[in-house]
Amino acid sequence: MRTSKELYTFVILCCSSLYAFSQSDTSHTLRSVEVKAVHLETLSSRAAMPVTVINRKTLEMMGSRRLDEVMREQTGIAIVNDVSAGSRAIGMQLQGFSSDYILILIDGQPMIGRNAGNFDLSRITVSDIERIEIVKGASSSLFGSEALGGVVNIITRQHIDAAQGQAIVRYGSQQTQDLTLEGETPFADKRGTLNLSGNFYHTDGYNVNSFLSKGATAPPYNSYSLQGRMRYQLNEQHSLHIAGRWALRNSINESVYSSSQVANTTRDVLHENDMNAAVVWQANLHKGWQLKSQYYLTRYSTTQDVSTGKSNQLSSNDFTQYYHRFEEQVQYVASNQLSFAGGVGGNMEVMDGNDLKSEYAYLQGDWKVTERLSSRLGVRYDHSDFYGGRLNPSAGLKFSLTEKLSLTAAFGTGYKTPDFQKRYQVFTNPQAGYTVLGVEEVATQIAAMQAAGLISEVRPVAKDISAALKPEMAVSYNVGISYTPVQKIRIDVNGFYNQLHNFINTVQIATRTNFQPVYSYINLDRSFTGGVEAGITTHVIKGLDVSAGYQLLYAKDRGVMEAIREGTYPYNKIRDNKTGDTRASKVSDYIGLENRSRHMLNLRVFYEYAPWGISATFRANYKSRSGYDDANNNRFLDTYDTFIDAYCLVYASVEKKFCKGHLAVQVTADNLMNYTDMLMPGQPGRILMAGLKWRMFKQ
Amino acid sequence: MAITITNMYKRTQWQCLAFIVLLAVACKKDDNNVTKLNYEDGVSTVIYDLAGDTEASVADGVEGKEKRPFRSFYFKLSTKLQSWDSSHTFKQSNNWDLAFTDIYNALVYVNNGSAEGPGKGGSGKGMIIAVDSAYSKVTTAPDEAAFEKANLRFAGWDGYPQPYNTGWYFYSLNTHLAIPIKNRTFIIRTADGKYGKLELINVYQGNPPAVTDLFWPAPYFTFRYFIQEDGSHNLKTP
Repeated sequence: MRTSKELYTFVILCCSSLYAFSQSDTSHTLRSVEVKAVHLETLSSRAAMPVTVINRKTLEMMGSRRLDEVMREQTGIAIVNDVSAGSRAIGMQLQGFSSDYILILIDGQPMIGRNAGNFDLSRITVSDIERIEIVKGASSSLFGSEALGGVVNIITRQHIDAAQGQAIVRYGSQQTQDLTLEGETPFADKRGTLNLSGNFYHTDGYNVNSFLSKGATAPPYNSYSLQGRMRYQLNEQHSLHIAGRWALRNSINESVYSSSQVANTTRDVLHENDMNAAVVWQANLHKGWQLKSQYYLTRYSTTQDVSTGKSNQLSSNDFTQYYHRFEEQVQYVASNQLSFAGGVGGNMEVMDGNDLKSEYAYLQGDWKVTERLSSRLGVRYDHSDFYGGRLNPSAGLKFSLTEKLSLTAAFGTGYKTPDFQKRYQVFTNPQAGYTVLGVEEVATQIAAMQAAGLISEVRPVAKDISAALKPEMAVSYNVGISYTPVQKIRIDVNGFYNQLHNFINTVQIATRTNFQPVYSYINLDRSFTGGVEAGITTHVIKGLDVSAGYQLLYAKDRGVMEAIREGTYPYNKIRDNKTGDTRASKVSDYIGLENRSRHMLNLRVFYEYAPWGISATFRANYKSRSGYDDANNNRFLDTYDTFIDAYCLVYASVEKKFCKGHLAVQVTADNLMNYTDMLMPGQPGRILMAGLKWRMFKQ
Repeated sequence: MAITITNMYKRTQWQCLAFIVLLAVACKKDDNNVTKLNYEDGVSTVIYDLAGDTEASVADGVEGKEKRPFRSFYFKLSTKLQSWDSSHTFKQSNNWDLAFTDIYNALVYVNNGSAEGPGKGGSGKGMIIAVDSAYSKVTTAPDEAAFEKANLRFAGWDGYPQPYNTGWYFYSLNTHLAIPIKNRTFIIRTADGKYGKLELINVYQGNPPAVTDLFWPAPYFTFRYFIQEDGSHNLKTP
């Protein structure tokens, strides 16, 4: 019954969009007010690996509020919960790489603050974003450590021509409120520009767990953010930019589990404080030389406490992290065929009394060899006090066979130094009871625990732990074809393969007298992710963009494959949980890493009919089933384990502009079919929103 | 040219829309994937959410919560009585059949007076063996000799501390949660020497099909059992 209702909604939507298509044939020319597309020279746009760009207009048409909402609709990206790190651990996965390996940048500078490696993108508002660039694949040659699996560069609004202001009010399901106020103006005869914006966001969260009588699986929160930017042209050569961002998030989530007259309350409180500031001095010197000197500071602090209704504390996770960076960048345009960008810099990271210094230098050249062949070569050297030096090269080639067909090939390496946690952590999980020790704590902690009579067995592998952890390494390859059969229709097909070496994994080093394991970290397995990404974009009819994207993904751990091949316990067996029968396992039984869908598909229809000031979007996202957890105790994902079912989420939005573009009314529907799954705690059901935008500008 | 492109394009458009509809039909809502199983068969006893020692903590430095070993509790199958009495007299009596011990009370012993365990030195005749089969398909208890040979003494973490220690749950290395093993049934002998079968179903409150929260309340036991009161080996249930 439900399905038929949904089907009707669909038919209606389809009909209305078809009606819209037929309308577009008789187009008038009326000026539409939209944000001017500006060309920004950014580092990520110079990456050898493929770059996806989401522009302001797309963001506005989608009506998304938070960054995670935008990202989850992109090809090859998934937002997944990390259940092992608590209900607030949620991160973005790119080409099968987990959030740990994806670097998040704001105007080219790294953002910090992760929960067990997961960067929760919902702490960033979309309101101030000019565009988003996504680099897929290892790109440490430009961005350094952490950019092992990819980079998301958030570019805030930079170019200001005229004074204007904007107020946005949105309200909808789950008491969601999104308020934005922003203003920008040139000053001093357009020598300077100033931009200020503020945003408030509230959500009641969303619950998809039917065992909860109260509370939410996607936690409720209030978020406040303030951003400001100033740019001043000192003279013809020199200009100064100052940018700052401050964001605060508070969240209280009280969950009540009720069953058979038992009610248990858990209270989870989070305070999060996030600050970024940058000062950039830019000099355009003679003959194509440009110099950029910058200082960047970011601070992130969080306190998170989980307690039961009996005021028992279950876990607390409090830390403050600082990150400083000085960088001197040089750009040189030698000719139309040849340009260079290079830089040197230093970072200092401080977290709860531990600090880590590192220095780096990079150089990249773009060379248009012939009309048909262009190349891009880059190299970066990073040096950290603790991990020593490392060189990361990257290379990209583009060859145009014909006007319609071009081929690309790219190669890059990435590396990631182990974080503080993996070195210094001493943690016992109060629920499961296991202990995790950072590698530098192993010797002393094990000795202390043995002295206290808490250890029943120390495994031989514990001796190997004392050796320093090696940084994780990735090598990425990408080959692609871009084909334009007719004007305004483009087909891209990319094959990618990422090899991860020295993958840091937990390993059991000892057993406590209470049977619980003690873990530490070791460079153990080699994983890989590989697949194909394909996309088609079309804009034949004026105002209408139809596009589709697909990703095929294989992500596996070679260590698991080897263990199965060698018959190592417990990988050597596979139990059919339906019959209870157990047999020997084969490598082909291994499906891959958890939480990764083999097939991901998205379809988007964006339509704008300028004469009426109407725009609408319709998006559908499909993900095939993905593994949730082991169910038959062999530590690898096979067909008898627990899976998140295949699903598809549908999004739609409609906007109408009034008063010569000053006023706009927008209605959005996220997850229109209200699809939820208990195994995806962070994915909310249907969210309907209505919004009002008022723009002030001179005609 | 323009017309051909437009026509071709419109056709593509139709195909796209048909595709979206197909996708939408394919994605029906499935009520949170929660399938609540019915364990009642008319003759077996089903225990829901029997609270274990929910006040204990295994972690160091957890404020407000007592860091101490989990207090064991004892369960008499025929009377459905839970007891926290850990005196020697009680432990060595036949007033219990199952002892829920250790971490999360999930290490389950039978009451046996002549083997290592809480009932040692008492008069209990308890034994336990595992069968990888659905509960309803386990219809007879083996003879004495076979029972003695396969006796596990306890059922806890599967494959731990040794691979041959068959258990009823395991810890996932991925989520660090306890996961019960489906369609594994234990054939038991009670303290009094009667045969029966036991299915330990879950340690988490409400018996969820999968646990999605690290702080899901535990230990709350869901289990079912059938005891053949006539003393025979017949364990048939509907």
